[in-house]
Amino acid sequence: MKRLFSSIVDGKGFDIALVALPLAFLLALSGLALLYNVVMSFQEVDMFSLGTLWRPFVGFKNYRDLFAQPETLPILANTAIFVTASIAGQFVIGFGLALFFWTNFPGASWLRGLFLVSWVMPGLVVGAIWNWILSGDFGVLNFILRESGLISENIFWRSDPNFSLWAVILANIWLGTSFNMILLSVGLSSIPGDLYEAAELDGANAWQRFWTITLPMMRASIGAIIALGLIFTLQQFDLFAAITSGGPNNSSNVTQYWAWDMSFRQYDFAKGATISVIMIVFVMAASIVYVRSTRHEVRG
Amino acid sequence: MSDTLRDKLMLGVALALAAIYLFPLYWMYITALKSGSAMFANPPDFWPRDPQWQIYGEVWESRNMGRYIWNSLVIACGAVSVIAILGTGCAYVLARYRNVWIDIGLFLILMLQVLPASLMITPIFVGFSQVGLLDYPRLAVILAIAAKSMPFFIVLVRATFMSVPQELEEAALVDGNSRVGAFFNIVLPLARNGILVSAILIFMQAFGEFVYSKSMIQAVELQPASVGLNTFMGPNTNEWNKIMAYATIYVTPILAAFVLLQRRIVSGLTSGALK
Amino acid sequence: MGIRKYAMLGALALATVSILGMSARAEDVTINVWALDRDIQPAPNLVKDFNALNTGIKVEFRQIQFDDVVSEAMRAYSTGQAPDIIAIDNPEHALFASRGAFLNLTAMIAKSEVVKTANYFPGPLASTMWDGKNYGIPKATNTIALYYNKDMFKSKGLDPDKPPQTWDELVETARKLTDPSANVYGLTFSAKANEEGTFQFLPWAQMAGAGYDNINTAGAVKALDTWKTIIDEKLASPDTLTRSQWDSTGTFNSGNAAMAISGPWELDRMVAEAKFDWGVALLPVPKAGAERSSAMGDFNWAIFANTEYPEEAFKVLEYFVSQDDRMFKDFGQLPARSDITIPETGEPKKDAALKVFVEQLNYAKPRGPHPEWPKISKAIQDAIQAALTGQMSSQEALDQAAAKIKAVDG
Repeated sequence: MKRLFSSIVDGKGFDIALVALPLAFLLALSGLALLYNVVMSFQEVDMFSLGTLWRPFVGFKNYRDLFAQPETLPILANTAIFVTASIAGQFVIGFGLALFFWTNFPGASWLRGLFLVSWVMPGLVVGAIWNWILSGDFGVLNFILRESGLISENIFWRSDPNFSLWAVILANIWLGTSFNMILLSVGLSSIPGDLYEAAELDGANAWQRFWTITLPMMRASIGAIIALGLIFTLQQFDLFAAITSGGPNNSSNVTQYWAWDMSFRQYDFAKGATISVIMIVFVMAASIVYVRSTRHEVRG
Repeated sequence: MSDTLRDKLMLGVALALAAIYLFPLYWMYITALKSGSAMFANPPDFWPRDPQWQIYGEVWESRNMGRYIWNSLVIACGAVSVIAILGTGCAYVLARYRNVWIDIGLFLILMLQVLPASLMITPIFVGFSQVGLLDYPRLAVILAIAAKSMPFFIVLVRATFMSVPQELEEAALVDGNSRVGAFFNIVLPLARNGILVSAILIFMQAFGEFVYSKSMIQAVELQPASVGLNTFMGPNTNEWNKIMAYATIYVTPILAAFVLLQRRIVSGLTSGALK
Repeated sequence: MGIRKYAMLGALALATVSILGMSARAEDVTINVWALDRDIQPAPNLVKDFNALNTGIKVEFRQIQFDDVVSEAMRAYSTGQAPDIIAIDNPEHALFASRGAFLNLTAMIAKSEVVKTANYFPGPLASTMWDGKNYGIPKATNTIALYYNKDMFKSKGLDPDKPPQTWDELVETARKLTDPSANVYGLTFSAKANEEGTFQFLPWAQMAGAGYDNINTAGAVKALDTWKTIIDEKLASPDTLTRSQWDSTGTFNSGNAAMAISGPWELDRMVAEAKFDWGVALLPVPKAGAERSSAMGDFNWAIFANTEYPEEAFKVLEYFVSQDDRMFKDFGQLPARSDITIPETGEPKKDAALKVFVEQLNYAKPRGPHPEWPKISKAIQDAIQAALTGQMSSQEALDQAAAKIKAVDG
């Protein structure tokens, strides 16, 4: 007992206790819930048997049925486009803004704080506002584009199959940019200033300093931000519900909205769970990439 | 180019960027002051013609917002405490070592956050009802939010711990500190700002949490403001002006608090707590 | 007459309920009621009034959002946390009734002094039935008709007392009224990919002789082609595909559309906000003299099968039914009953509109009833969207829908 105690205070036990507790908590809550989804994807689920795990097993039938549906592949492709474009947009704009505010002019930190509105505003409201901004006839975006002469005819962002997915991506980039910017700002501010002074003495220009100091020093932050960005974009649900409902004709449908639609609109819980399992596999691949990237992190 | 000119130029650009970015917020504020169908006017009004200022008072009164916001605060504070207590240590360990077990731990933590709340709610609801947690609905929501947001917190705080020089901790150990002592006296204070920023981000997320609260909290007296907001919405009743007025009351104080806090946190960092 | 009649009815209801309540007086029974009604709608107010009667039955009310009714109910029912009474959207009633989740009320209704099946419109009543038995009581009803802006009719040289009667006339009128330079579309409606799209399209198909179980007839194809003409010629906004009925009618109220297809739930907002003269007409038919049809909306009351207090729950429902004559006056909803004449409101436009809606109600058909209704509805929505976005012809789209519905029907 005493050895156990001293190990917790002053040895490996300390580390293990710190990790084991939260992991146990997460496994009990999220882990079991995920497992429930996985199990359900192999079962025949009746809407009234949600409360039990004992349901008839059907093997891979749900998976076969799902991939036999014509909309499956387009929706998976939409998801890939949505995730890639959203993360790229959020990161590039977020990094740009972080660097811009890093130059530290008067008022910089006030304004930077204001950018966090997208993080504070409730999802319901954000969705509703983008719904109006993007609406075809009386939308503000079309109004501005028209007045500035960029378009001659209204673009029906929500209802034109060529634009609907990009309409949601646009809103999602807006939503995620501030998060990227704040975290990258914190990352930037922890880079020791003397590194830059030294580099400047060596005659490195701004571009070289960015590539040789800023980026490598930010590796941990960037890895974390992109990994989280992936998870946030895959969880993005409110915007689809508010702006396009996945339509028209599935042109803006993505797995997370589709899974919900299957489960709670058509009450086909097994298919909904099957789609979530496909998402899990997708994120598993991405998580491996992230975890591998942490091997090259620089410890301060 | 002189410094003041440069400053003014930068400030101008920053204001322009902020104006573009904050447009949705602005739209929320002015919609609250418009009448119902004015939303659909074409061309849009960029300024409310007949501002309905009394709407804030009306909404506050008729919706009993004080109670809703109190519940939101309780839930958000609870969730942040659970997350910070459990998550900080975990993030520290995951940053300190570099081996296969750490990889597995990180991997698990990320994986557990994949599915959106709208898909997780059914299994969590079923599980909570089995163990009787639904009788304590706010606690149930706090735990569910903690499970949802903790991976996010861990990944962020881990990145912060990565920037704390390991030599400092080793020096403390050599000086005779225990592991616990070194953690609390040296490492934690150095990572303070990162933890604080992450905790605030979590707080704001938890403050607006909606899906879990909606399903698990059935008694109106215990529901948070996000659920209260949702009661305005329905297929045949979208009182957008009231929704926006409600959202304005709900969001503005947190936004103001954050603008003040982040200034201290982020600029505190730049001015060299860590160097 | 008016006030005395109400007072009598109220007293009668109070007496019935309190006598019935006596037996339960020994200890207070709590009955949970879930419905989507907000503070100005019937359920919470009726609950308040009922509790004031002190019958020994205490009713607790929880508001649920429209989108969540079914998922919340299922989750609660399968974990044993279901309420005693729920208000459920009529096309979803069969989903629960067919699985035995709702209590069979046939015997209780037969004995009841208050609830009489003969008093109800056939459509709403049919939606509460499954397998010949009563699994609920209609709560209210609604349907859709054609709203039109009389001022715009006049300014385009059309007769404001002659709204379009047939589909061709509707399209023709919409062409005349559409005025892009003034930001006015001829028509607004909803073809959204959710139940609202189905709700708006089925009447068109039914008027042309089709139904959900034979959705790919020539008549239904013509209906969808008519919709497509309206969208393709921009007689209605392309956003019709993603906009709800409420939002669509908002554009009518603000003068950006000259006609709108929607229901009586719009009346109060329109009276308050529309700054022009408007009227309501029956839905146009395929050709003069064709059969009329309309959609039937709104909710039903039902008691969950696992309630501890079926008798008490039914008493609560009896009280709700006894207050049906207040439905329109106090809450602006149409009772689903043919034996109640709705009193005038004194607002001429609203009263005229009401007459049209009541007539239209005679042609209203329920969706289903079918236990797999959501899947059938989804097939129809997919067809509408595929045709209107030009990805399939109306015939192909409806053929595909028919095949999917056949698979569901088994």
